[in-house]
Amino acid sequence: MNRVRLELTVGLFVLVGLACGAWLSLRLGSVSLPGRRGYSVSASFGSVEGLSEGTSVMIAGVRVGRIERIGLKDDRALVRLRIDRQVVLHDDAIASVRSRGLVGEKFVAISPGASPRTIPPGGLILDTEDAVNVEQLIAQFIHGRIQ
Amino acid sequence: MARARAILTMTVMIGLQLVPLRAGADQARDQVQATVDQVLEVLSDPGLAGAQHTAARRAKIRTIVLGRFGFEEMAKRSLGATWYQRRPAEQKQFVDLFTDLLERSYISRIESYKGEKIVYPGESIQGDRAEVNSVILSHGDRSTIDYRLVRVDDGWEVYDLVIDGISLVNNYRMQFAHIIGQSGYDGLLTKMRAKQEAEEESDRDLAAPPVQ
Repeated sequence: MNRVRLELTVGLFVLVGLACGAWLSLRLGSVSLPGRRGYSVSASFGSVEGLSEGTSVMIAGVRVGRIERIGLKDDRALVRLRIDRQVVLHDDAIASVRSRGLVGEKFVAISPGASPRTIPPGGLILDTEDAVNVEQLIAQFIHGRIQ
Repeated sequence: MARARAILTMTVMIGLQLVPLRAGADQARDQVQATVDQVLEVLSDPGLAGAQHTAARRAKIRTIVLGRFGFEEMAKRSLGATWYQRRPAEQKQFVDLFTDLLERSYISRIESYKGEKIVYPGESIQGDRAEVNSVILSHGDRSTIDYRLVRVDDGWEVYDLVIDGISLVNNYRMQFAHIIGQSGYDGLLTKMRAKQEAEEESDRDLAAPPVQ
C-alpha cells in the first residue's frame, strides 16, 4: 500500500516538474498558445534596419505583440505584426521603428490612434516611421555635414 | 475565339481598374507639387523679400498652404482620444490654435529655402489615402519630406508631413499626450496660448524697424 502511495507521489512530482518545464519554455521562447494568438496586421516601412522577427511590438512601453514576419514588397519592407486580441488599433495608428537606447535592440512602437474606424485583422497600418539611422547621424556629427 | 475574348475582357477590366489608381496617385503628386511651386514662387518674389515684407509674404503663403493642408484632420490626429471628448466649439478653438502654431513653424522652416532643387521620386495610393515623396537636394546634402494625404471632395488634403523620417502628427501626438497627462487639456491650451503669444511678440520685433 505504502509502495503504491510512494509511486503515486513520485509520479505526481514528475508531472508537476514537466508542466513547469513546458510553461517555462513557452514563456522564455515567447511562444503563443493556440487560441491566444491574437490577430495579424501589416505595416510597410522604407527601412527596418536592425529589426528582427520575434521582437516586441509595444504600446506605451507595454508589450502587446511581436513581429511575425519581415519581407520585401516593391522595394519596401513589409512587416507582419501579431497583436494581442484585446488590443484595438484605430485607422489613424502610427507604427514606428524605435530602439532601446542609442544602439539598443530595435522594436516596433505603435501609437494606437483614436479614430472611430479600426484596423481589422489582416489590415494595414498605413502611417509608419522608419528606423532612424544612428550610425549615419553619428558619422554626420563626427565628420560634419557638407553645406 | 471565346478564350481570346475572355482574355481581352480581363485585360480591359484590369486596365480600367488600374487607370483611376494611377490617376489618383499622379493627381496627389501634381497637387502637392503645384502647392510647393506656388509657395516657392512667393519666396523668390523680390517684391516680397526682406524683413519689412514678412507680414505680406506670410499672408500669401498662408492662403496657399490653407488650400492644401487639412489642419482640422492634423489637429484631430495629433490630439488623439481627447479630440473625441471635446465639444464641437472646443474642437474648433483647438484647430485655430493648432493651425496658427503649425503655420508659424512650417512657414519659418520654408522661409529658409535658398533655391535648392526639389524632386518627387515617388508616390503611392492606398484606398482614400496617398503618400507623395519629395527630396530636397542641397550641396550634396539630402533631406526628405513625405506628404501624407487623404482624399476629399475636390482632390487631396495633407494630413501629415514626415520630415527626414519623423512624422509631424506622431511628434505632436506624443507631446500633447504628455502635457495632457501632466496638466490636463486646459494645461495644454495654456501652454499653446503662451507659445502663440511669444511667437506673436517675436513677429512684432521682426516687423519693427531696427533702433538706430
